[in-house]
Amino acid sequence: MSLPSYATPLERVGFHSYRLYCFGVLFFLIMPVLIIIPLSFNAEPYFSFTEGMLNLDSSAFSLRWYADMVNNPQWVNALKNSIIIASASTLLATTLGTMAALGLSRRDMPLRNAVMALLISPMIVPVIIAAAGMYFFYTSLGLAQTYTGVILAHAVLGIPFVVITVTATLTGFDHSLTRASANLGAGPVYTFFKVTMPLIRPGVISGGLFAFGTSFDEVVVVLFVSGAEQRTVPRQMWSGIREQISPTILAVATLLIVMSVLLLITLELLRRRNARMRGLRE
Amino acid sequence: MSTLDNSYVRFQNVRKTYDGEILVVKDFNLDIAQGEFVTMLGPSGSGKTTCLMMLAGFESATQGEIYIDGTPVNNLAPHKRDIGMVFQNYALFPHLTIAENLSFPLKVRKLSKSDIEQKVKRALDMIELPQVAGRRPGQLSGGQQQRVALARALVFEPKLVLMDEPLGALDKQLREQMQYEIKHLHERLGITVLYVTHDQTEALTMSDRIAVFNQGVVQQLASPTELYEQPANSFVAQFIGENNKLSGKVEKIGNDRCVVSVEGCNVQALPVNVYQSGEATTLSIRPERIQINPENDFDNRFDARVLELIYHGDHMRTRVELMNHDQFIVKVPNGSRPLEIRKGDLVQVGWLSRDCRALDASSGQA
Amino acid sequence: MKYEAITTSTLVEPPLDIDARKRLKQQLRQAERWNRSKAFLLVVPLLLFVGITFVMPIIEMLHRSVYDPLVADSLPRTVAALKQWDRQQLPEEAIYAVLAEELVSLQEQHELSKVAGRLNSEYSGMRSLLSKSARRLSRKDTITRLIDTGSVRTAMIDIDQRWSDIAPWAAIKNLSSRYTLSYYLAALDMRYDENGEISAQPEQRQIYKTLLLKTFAISALITALCLILGYPLAHLLATLPESRSNLLMIMVLLPFWTSLLVRTTSWIVLLQTEGVINDVLIHLGLISERLRMIHNMFGTVIAMTHILLPFMVLPLYSVMKNISPSYMRAARSLGAKPGYAFIHIYLPQTLPGIGAGAILTFILSIGFYITPALVGGRSGQMISNFIAYHMQTSLNWGLAAALGGILLAMVLLLYSVYNRLVGINNLKVG
Repeated sequence: MSLPSYATPLERVGFHSYRLYCFGVLFFLIMPVLIIIPLSFNAEPYFSFTEGMLNLDSSAFSLRWYADMVNNPQWVNALKNSIIIASASTLLATTLGTMAALGLSRRDMPLRNAVMALLISPMIVPVIIAAAGMYFFYTSLGLAQTYTGVILAHAVLGIPFVVITVTATLTGFDHSLTRASANLGAGPVYTFFKVTMPLIRPGVISGGLFAFGTSFDEVVVVLFVSGAEQRTVPRQMWSGIREQISPTILAVATLLIVMSVLLLITLELLRRRNARMRGLRE
Repeated sequence: MSTLDNSYVRFQNVRKTYDGEILVVKDFNLDIAQGEFVTMLGPSGSGKTTCLMMLAGFESATQGEIYIDGTPVNNLAPHKRDIGMVFQNYALFPHLTIAENLSFPLKVRKLSKSDIEQKVKRALDMIELPQVAGRRPGQLSGGQQQRVALARALVFEPKLVLMDEPLGALDKQLREQMQYEIKHLHERLGITVLYVTHDQTEALTMSDRIAVFNQGVVQQLASPTELYEQPANSFVAQFIGENNKLSGKVEKIGNDRCVVSVEGCNVQALPVNVYQSGEATTLSIRPERIQINPENDFDNRFDARVLELIYHGDHMRTRVELMNHDQFIVKVPNGSRPLEIRKGDLVQVGWLSRDCRALDASSGQA
Repeated sequence: MKYEAITTSTLVEPPLDIDARKRLKQQLRQAERWNRSKAFLLVVPLLLFVGITFVMPIIEMLHRSVYDPLVADSLPRTVAALKQWDRQQLPEEAIYAVLAEELVSLQEQHELSKVAGRLNSEYSGMRSLLSKSARRLSRKDTITRLIDTGSVRTAMIDIDQRWSDIAPWAAIKNLSSRYTLSYYLAALDMRYDENGEISAQPEQRQIYKTLLLKTFAISALITALCLILGYPLAHLLATLPESRSNLLMIMVLLPFWTSLLVRTTSWIVLLQTEGVINDVLIHLGLISERLRMIHNMFGTVIAMTHILLPFMVLPLYSVMKNISPSYMRAARSLGAKPGYAFIHIYLPQTLPGIGAGAILTFILSIGFYITPALVGGRSGQMISNFIAYHMQTSLNWGLAAALGGILLAMVLLLYSVYNRLVGINNLKVG
């Protein structure tokens, strides 16, 4: 969209202030994410730019907070826990969610909307409610303060993302392909692994990435359900922020931002691949 | 059943409903001999595709039995039926190359690697596209995809091949070319083909027999010539080829001749499904069987006025007013001695009584 | 030309009698049932999983919001005796005696403090009253002597004047039922009074209504801010050519994908008194004294707006992307000025996106916990923070559950509106 040559002066002013406003909003969105990165290289234990940093004096920058993070067994342990919990819950959520999405996208699925609404609800219900309920219920099952408990809880929080992305992929799925496969002599299992799965894989993977991201960023359920042994990175950050905020957190935060960027790139590549596959069909 | 011996595919009293109220297929019966090319023709929603899907196993018959080679297949899973099928949108697997698409049914059947290679190569040669083996379906043109779909349906040498409007997505020229190719393949390989289309030209040029569907019922099952020349009812007459309709009442009826009064004029006609005088009827006359200034032996002659002349190259499409009916079409051939007529001329038109068929009164679908 | 009979054509619809129709329907149902159960079988594992790991916990929480067996279990005989009591005058001697005996035995088993605490939340002062009475009554032989002489009532009133009041008795009676609405009443600043009627809490104990209103107000404010900031941005993204809008889209998606805790940390770093924004403002000479922008309502609103903005922009964008530019061109060609065309042609077409984005943002913000807890200070706390407080600190789980129940009801109501308006199938992520 650009300004036509016949625009009145008032329209010109309006158009440019609209653009300016939008860039202001984008600045508001991106600046808080980016500001963390340079600050994490601060040589001083401050949360603001020092004179030296502003003058790009190399002695004002250091990797000391990264070293601090790597040498701190609490952070290392938290990272290990986060990876274990996120991987296990993603595997669980992706398997169950993909199966359900396959059922939900069949036209003879009964009570489709009600089931869908229920499966999406973990995304909608405030996590504090789920966490409080899980605290009571998981304690009575003996799952509180166990890895299993946290993994189950995180899996259920990740499921809506898998269900949504996989059903979305399946809406564009050409069902005559599975018919063609059956017609050519392939049984249902062979058809699933050789025809359906390769075609919906981008959706399954992006659903899985969402589930992984959800688990990796989750703190409320961890606060209620896990014990000291299952401390995750967000849980460690939570105490860091609450108790005494140290610039080590900025180093961790920077790493998490890098991780988000990688996730985002992967998703974009998957989206393009999916689009290309669909484009091929036309 | 003893008659099963000479029919390869048999539909017997097949009914299909999706909602328990409306039958999309009503009491369908069809026998197809081995090596026959049978087409199911009809407007969309007439039940023809449903019948095809029931044979392929993707829909189940609500009632009735379907037999292939004497065996009932109602409870046989689609992948165990060994039927080749060409889908409407081809359904080529987009993530596999052409060669992989073609080897898919062979791998499933656990053929040896060398056998697969050889058969795929032969299939690609058959469709004259040996160069596309390594490409993906998306990189082929519509016509090429169509051929590959055909090759994939034939590569595992099924005895029966189903085709669901396989040429629907192609442009006119390519469609005509493919019609001949499919016809030749059918003759060369001796396979049995059940073909579904809504395009009457396609059906007429390719088939041994055609089943005309409307509203879940087969209206007529006959050879192309018979369908065109001797439509059994007004729907078939209207659906296949162009047709002039005149509504009237049977005055007199004999064995091979009846008199029908239309707007006060008496028309000599061939009784097809009228049985007694006083019955309402629709007369059906093909536009190319009508002559302007007719020859002497034409037993129907009436006065008409020329309303419109449209030039069609090989013929002149002439619209005349006749018996208070202003949509009466006459095709005047553009021969070596063209007729000199102009808009507004008063002329005489005529036809033979055997070309004028007295059918049921219901007008069917126009 | 030959004329053959047409054997297979059935020109007339075969008549279906009622029996045939029934049979047909039954066969159809069987076929359908099999197909449906195949589809359902794929969904069953997940339904079971969500049922056990998510729905059951919530049911358990809701159960706790109405289930309160403590008083009935601890003082069973007193509760039974008070059943006939009419709340009009002091209970008779026998009831005093039963309570005294039960207090003494609770004291001996060191079980008194729990029930005293529960009763205290109903009638303040009850904790001290009960422990004092129990202590005195447990002195050697006191209780048997008093019961023998039939002077328990006098003795208890001697111990504390409040026993001559009906209020403590009313408190016990009010909590004597195992299933009670008292937690929900408390969560709405109400209680059962001495007569067992529902009435308002005393003024100084009223906090939850204000809290609910504040949660609503903050959420509405954040939703409005997101709409004001997000609408023009979504419009820009939807109308720019693909190549340029992709880059800008990343600037929306990156924060969306960045950890919530990271973004909250950023805001702490930015907004704190020694933080970047204060530094910049001082440097520019705009302020002379450092502003307090965090650990208050301001901090909560800013940080939450930032976090929820993508949830507004993305649905708006997907709606706007599907509005053909030819509508605006048509309006212009028909003589409308840009403003008129925008209000009458463009805006109405974006209403579904506004609805979807606004409801989603509102739902997410009324249940928000982390950000208010970290940057909210005292004034920026919302309902979720009180649930967490009662869960973890005050250990009043019943009240926490009741607050949770109220929040859940509000969210589910909004969710059903969203479902009706947008359709759950149109929910997108990323």
